[in-house]
Amino acid sequence: MTTQTPVAQAAGRARARAGTAGLRRRRRIDGPAVSMRVWAALVIVFLYLPILFVVFYSFNRGRVLLTWRGFGTNWYATAVENTQIQHTALTSLIVGALSALIAIVLGSLAGIALARRGGRWTRPFLLLVFLVLVTPEIVDGISYLIWFVRIDLGSGLLRLVIGHSVFSSAVTTLIVQARLSGLDESLEEAAADLGATPRQAFRDITVPLIMPAVLAGGLLSFTFSLDDVIVSTFVSTAGTSTLPVYIFSALRLGLKGDIAAISTVALVVTLTVLGLTALVLRRSGESAEEVTATLTGG
Amino acid sequence: MSVVVQVPGGQRRGPRLPKFTLAVPSWAWYLLFFVLPLAIIVVYSFGYKPGATTASSIGLDRLSLDNYRTAVGDKVFASTFGATLRIATVGTLLCLAIGFPVAYWLATRVGARWRPLMLSLLIVPFWTSYLLRTFGWRLVLAGRGFPSQIAQNIGLLDHPFSILDTRAAVQLGVVYNYLPLMIFPLFVALDRLDPALREASKDLGAGRLRTFLQVTVPLAAPGVVAGLLLVFIPLCGEYVTPQILGGAKGFMAGSLVASQFLEAQNWALGSAMAMVLIGMILATIGVAALAALGLRAIVRTAWRVDVGDTGGPP
Repeated sequence: MTTQTPVAQAAGRARARAGTAGLRRRRRIDGPAVSMRVWAALVIVFLYLPILFVVFYSFNRGRVLLTWRGFGTNWYATAVENTQIQHTALTSLIVGALSALIAIVLGSLAGIALARRGGRWTRPFLLLVFLVLVTPEIVDGISYLIWFVRIDLGSGLLRLVIGHSVFSSAVTTLIVQARLSGLDESLEEAAADLGATPRQAFRDITVPLIMPAVLAGGLLSFTFSLDDVIVSTFVSTAGTSTLPVYIFSALRLGLKGDIAAISTVALVVTLTVLGLTALVLRRSGESAEEVTATLTGG
Repeated sequence: MSVVVQVPGGQRRGPRLPKFTLAVPSWAWYLLFFVLPLAIIVVYSFGYKPGATTASSIGLDRLSLDNYRTAVGDKVFASTFGATLRIATVGTLLCLAIGFPVAYWLATRVGARWRPLMLSLLIVPFWTSYLLRTFGWRLVLAGRGFPSQIAQNIGLLDHPFSILDTRAAVQLGVVYNYLPLMIFPLFVALDRLDPALREASKDLGAGRLRTFLQVTVPLAAPGVVAGLLLVFIPLCGEYVTPQILGGAKGFMAGSLVASQFLEAQNWALGSAMAMVLIGMILATIGVAALAALGLRAIVRTAWRVDVGDTGGPP
């Protein structure tokens, strides 16, 4: 999926050079290229517009969010003091960490099996993974609610962890599989030929090879969980809900500055995690395109 | 793809477990927390809402199609399903129209030096909290907000923005939220195309438009299909965006389902509505697939290149 042989990479580099040279040559008369660039710039502005508004207004000193009264961090102080925000943010972090852990374990094992022990079982399994990924979240949400009531699972924390782990496991599975499929199996075979037991070959060769993918899967799972609204809305219990559920219910009552402030904080946390993931992938030698493909679940 | 060489002596030693062994935990997890919960929605959709005197949330002792009749027959419900289909279809097509030029530009016109930066610029909003992005539009579009005031001051409008809490706001919100999901698969597909193919097409005398329509678009088709599905399916189940931007007028099918579970406590009807929603999604995809196949057949006939008398394949 995201593999490239050295030859293809070299071709890609040559192509990129040729591409930029061609662009320079044509620049003066290339109408379509100019209009595409303008269009892309407009789309990027469109994508950032609402985000910038929230960040901007979160620093409003005034009590009414939309009436600008100068720069101030009052809303951040209010948000931090809000016990419900404290409580739900803590739940969010715990649920995020636990569901990421499940996703890492299940996703790594299944990813290894898909890449290295494929067979007749692969097709139905991939179909199941695909269904997990495409089922509309509202359907997932109500199915968990019904099921958890049915099997009498009362713990809100467990409900949230399980609810978040299914989707994340599917994503992590695909990431680990893509990574391992792109690596030559002869590495493990060489280890076996040199006298390593399967266990040793797994520990010393396979595990280090898939580590970046596992880490990326885990970090992505964490951010999925941190951002999830729909499943969480259905499975959380009165005492245990997550930050997005709190924000969502607070939004129904109108826009308040503390919501903008805590959202901005959450934005910084998510982007930090995302940046770390990209860094891990880049360090392990993936190209920018591969990093993108991984980060977007492709 | 690298070629995997089968080494005859490279077999694993030790007892051989079945090949799917490592995937067993995942099988079990998906069965327990995906397949069974989905199956039970089907069962619940034939049940009924028990009287207020019982503690149970569902009655399953007599099964019927009543919920489906209500979900499809009730005027308000039916019109909401219709509006959902319209918003999802228009939204998906708008995402394609807006996203394709961006993906094409990124894949064919941006050099290796700028590409990572441009990609990150497009990814960051996608990873920003969904709620934040959506309620940000309430600030942008507010009648009292400064974009609205600027529009009035420069004479563009003679009244404040009034788009919030309408279906138009929901339409804007979903296009905004799902646009990245369209751009990424398109970009991946277009990026994989060898530029040599486009050059060859030009060398053979095709103009820009013809190269684009007959070489680039058909080869990028898998990416287009992936993008359409990735946007259309979740968009049909939307519940958060209409709630935040659409107010009472912006109800979509997802909101109907949610309100049956979270407010009306009619789980049987809610389950049936979810099934209708899934049916609507599958039917639309089926119709679209048939239409696309038909179109392809027509286009292929019309564009068939007659290579003359070459004596058939060697």
